[in-house]
Formats: sequence, C-alpha cells, structure tokens
Amino acid sequence: MSVIEQLVSGLGLPNFNVLIPEIILLLTAFAVFILEMFSKNRRVISAFSITGLLISGIYILVIILGILKLILSPITLREASANPFYSYILNNYLENFVTLYGLYVVDLFSLVFKLFLIIGTIFVLIHIRPYAEAKGSYYGEYYYLILFSLFGMFIMVSSPNLISFYVGLELMSISLYVLIGLYRKDYRSKEGAYKYLIIGGTGTAIVSYAIALLYGRTGTFDFREIAQTLIASNTVDVGLIGGLILLLVGLALKASAVPFHQWAPDAYEGAPTPVTAFLAVPSKIATYAIILRVVVEAFPSLTESWGFAWALFAAASMIFGNLVALRQKSVKRMLAYSSIAHTGYITAALAAPTGMGFAALAFYSIVYLFMGAGAFLLLASLEKNEGWNNTLEDFKGLAKKDPVSALLMLIFMFSLLGIPPTVGFFGKLGVFLALIGYNVWWLAVILVVTSIISAGYYLRVVANMYMYEPSFKGKINVSLVEKLSLGVLAVIVLILGIYPTQIWTLTTTISSLLMAGVGR
Amino acid sequence: MSIPYEYYIALSGLLMVLGLIGVTVRKNIIAVLISTELMLNAVNIAFVAYDMKLNDVAGQVFVFFILTIAAAEAAVGLGLVMAIYRLRKDVDVEKLSELKL
Repeated sequence: MSVIEQLVSGLGLPNFNVLIPEIILLLTAFAVFILEMFSKNRRVISAFSITGLLISGIYILVIILGILKLILSPITLREASANPFYSYILNNYLENFVTLYGLYVVDLFSLVFKLFLIIGTIFVLIHIRPYAEAKGSYYGEYYYLILFSLFGMFIMVSSPNLISFYVGLELMSISLYVLIGLYRKDYRSKEGAYKYLIIGGTGTAIVSYAIALLYGRTGTFDFREIAQTLIASNTVDVGLIGGLILLLVGLALKASAVPFHQWAPDAYEGAPTPVTAFLAVPSKIATYAIILRVVVEAFPSLTESWGFAWALFAAASMIFGNLVALRQKSVKRMLAYSSIAHTGYITAALAAPTGMGFAALAFYSIVYLFMGAGAFLLLASLEKNEGWNNTLEDFKGLAKKDPVSALLMLIFMFSLLGIPPTVGFFGKLGVFLALIGYNVWWLAVILVVTSIISAGYYLRVVANMYMYEPSFKGKINVSLVEKLSLGVLAVIVLILGIYPTQIWTLTTTISSLLMAGVGR
Repeated sequence: MSIPYEYYIALSGLLMVLGLIGVTVRKNIIAVLISTELMLNAVNIAFVAYDMKLNDVAGQVFVFFILTIAAAEAAVGLGLVMAIYRLRKDVDVEKLSELKL
C-alpha cells in the first residue's frame, strides 16, 4: 500500500459530489486564464466565462429546488430514496454535506447565497467588456480575477471553520485589490486600491489576531466546537471578549460599517465602474452571509453582546452614510455612501437575534443584489459616453435624451430608497418588523428616520433627470445588450416588490435551518 | 528552563499595537505597507505561543496560511506602490491624497 492509499483509507475520501459547482467555476477560471493568453477574441472570453457561471448556477438552482421539495413538501423517506434524483440529494446534500474533512459545508444556506452571487457576477461580466473597451482600458485579467474572487466568496459562504473562512476572505480581498487598480494609467484607481489594501490588510491582521485569541481560548477552529466549548465552560474571560471584539471589528471593516468605512468611498470611486458594482454588491453579500454564520454558529451563548455591537455599528453606518451622501456631487460617490448606509440597514437585523432577524438579513442582502448592481451598472453604461463624469449636473434632463435609461435609474433609486412597488420596501420592512419584534425600538426609529433622510439624495437624482432641461452636451448612447440586462434587473426589482413570497420563504427556511443547526 | 507562553503573547500584542500605530502615523507608503506585514507576523507569534500552551499543532498549520497570504498581499501592495510612484514620483501619504471626503 502506498502512502497515499494509507492516508485515504485512514481519513476516507471527501464527498466531491457537493463540490461540483466550485469545480466548474475553478475550471472556467483556469480555462479563461489560458484562453486569454492565446485568443485575441474578446467576445469569446466573455461568453466563455459567462457560460461557465451559467452552468454552475443552473446546477445550484436545480439542487436548491430539490432540497426545498424534500424539506417543505410531505415526501416520505421511502418515496425519496426510490427516486434517483431525490436520493442523490438526500445522500449528498442532507447527509454528507460537510466535506473536505470538516473544512467545507454545502448546506442550503451556502447554496442560496452562491446562487445569488453567481447571478450578480454574471451581470457584472456582461457589462465589463463594453465599458472597458469604451474607456480604452481592456485587460483580459478582469475575467479570471473576478472568477477567482467569486471562488473566494464561495469558500467564505460555505465555511464551517475559521481556517476556510480566513482563506476565502483573503482570496476574495486580494483579487479585489488587483481589480480596483486595473484602470488605465489612472492615478485615482491606484490610490483607491492602495487605500483598500492597507485598510483591508489591517482588517485581515485584526481578524487573524481574533482567530488566534479564540483558538487560544477554545483550542479549536470549528464554529460549532467553539460554541460547545463556550457553553460548557460558561465563563467569560479576557481572551474570549478580546477575540469576539476583534472579530467583530475585523468583519465590520470588511463590510465597511462606520467607523471602519474610510476605504469604501475611495475604492469605489477609483475602481472601474463594473468592478465597483462587483465590489459593492457580491463581495458585500458574501461578507454579510459569513457575518451571519459566524455569529450564529460560533457564539450562540453571547447573543446579547454581538447583537448590541452590531446595533451600534448599524446605527452609526445609517446615520453617517446617509448624512454624508447628501452632500456628494458625484453620483458614483453618493452611491458608495449609500452602500455604507445599506450595510447599516442590513446589519441592523442582527440587533434582533431571532429567526425573523436572520431571515430579514438574508432577504435584504439578496434583494440588495438586484438594486445595487442595477444602479452601479447603469452608471457604468452611462459613463461610456464621452464627457460623462457621473456628476449630478450630468443627470439633468436625462429623461429627454434617453428615456429608457432614466426610467431604469428611477426604478433603482426608488428601490434603494424603499418606495412600495419595488423590493427595497420589503427589505426595510423585514428588518423593521424584526427590530420591533425584539423590542429594539431605538434602532427601528433610526432606520425609519435615516431612510427618510436618504430620500434627499435619491430623489435629487430623479428630480434632476425629469424636471430640468438637458445640460449634458454630448450624445447618450446605451447599447441594446446593456439596456436588456439592466431591464432584467429592473423587472426583477419590480416583480419581487409585488410578489416577494418566494424569496421570503427561501430566506425563512435558511434562517430556521441555521437556527436548528446551532444545537447540533 | 523554558519561557512561559504568556510572554510570547505579550510580545505579539506589543508588535500588533506597534503595527497599528505604524499604519496610522507613518508618512511613507512603503513603511505603511511594512506595518501591515508586521501585524500579520505578530499574529504568527501568537499562534505558535498558543500551540505551546495547548500542546497542539493546528495553530502552526494556520501560520502557514498566514505566511502565504501575507506574501500575496505584499506582492500586490508593492506592485501598487510601483504604479503610484511611476504616476506621481512620490511616496509621501500626505502629498498623494486626491480622493477627499
């Protein structure tokens, strides 16, 4: 018997079936890496990476539907094992879903987030080639760096362990540092990337110091084992408090919650706009997901402490983000501050550590994908036009020059603001109800008041578009493909705003599964 | 005679604080980058010290991950420093800031 055979017989083979989406994604990334060296055809590279993501996404979607069918509808175990599809899901996703020797978990929670991360990334990939060509800064590196960053997010959302969480976080962040700096010979892009690198690197150091302290206190990296050790010993000492505080600070820094937000506006403004969309939406959603998983699975005995800490972060982010966004001249920078405010709205749900709160967090972060990506990608399409600088002045009279773009912008702005027939309303409503249900009135009041303040800057864009004569001299030209993809995002925002039941059921299910897993 | 592990923890805490101070007060962008690396190395000391306390090796395995990630981050950071220097011929933080609040 060779050494490898001995190792395998001792440990057992990990379950590779659950890793198929990740394997497809990684193969696509490597294939794009090689294709980009040999092929000069840009459409092929773009189409190839989108196809890889689509295959992976459809696979995940089928599995999610199968799991939901098995969980929610009354199918008996015998019926399920008779059907080959259901028995595949039963064996792989409901029993052996912890794979790679306890370092990787593929449960419904991670699958749902992966599906939406893929959807967001596909929209970014559709927009990146036209933008980069119009701006004369096309690099093939965009594609595989985005795919590797997405792979980091996959590792992050399905990590049951501080090691895989850390590796995923860093794979995502380091790819993003390079992506932000990849904009022509533009100085501001380099400066934004450098600021993000330094502050993100500090965040990395803080998170890893927190991991060291927690490891020293509990002797393990696994979320559930940490929780068990903490419940068994039932004492609170300096190492635990320090570890928890540093972990929360590091995560808040990665999620750009105030007071650790300084990198966000600069990195967002410096980056090429489709990359800004990638940075502001999928990477943030992965961060919210891992925040939810860490605090719920590793620290169920300390709900009061982290609930209060996130309440403070959320309150500061909502107040500061919305007030500073009011005085921005550039719409891109304004949306950067609005995304800080949205970090506030989303993490506010953690102040109510109940099933309702977790479901509200997951729901809001999923729907934020559509409106946030829509707003940033629309800016990317408009920015392609010669002379467009994304200032509020440029938006004056857009409705007369390009009614379709103006209408799309109107929908995204209303959704970010949270006006009813759009889905942003239900996101805020969910968080609000969760906070009321847990009696955190002061935070609920801050949420409502700051949402009203935010009307000041969202509606100014809308007013500029519809109530002024055009002031932008150049031509406005948004290509049909871009209009179609933005239209799809806008239609999703409207449909979910009228009928959010499906997504709400999905997030309620994952939050109750997350809660049920804690005691295990 | 062996040194108790608490001393190593104290050392790593000290290095971590020094790194944080360095990030906030240094004016040279290369020195700021070195400060972040200092913090990551402080974490390495903490991990090895805790392994001494727990008689375990998992923390030392984590040190390898941190070393790799620190190297990747330093590579990207130095690349950015090169790009910034080429565009501005300067490495002073205060003269370089264009993006404002």
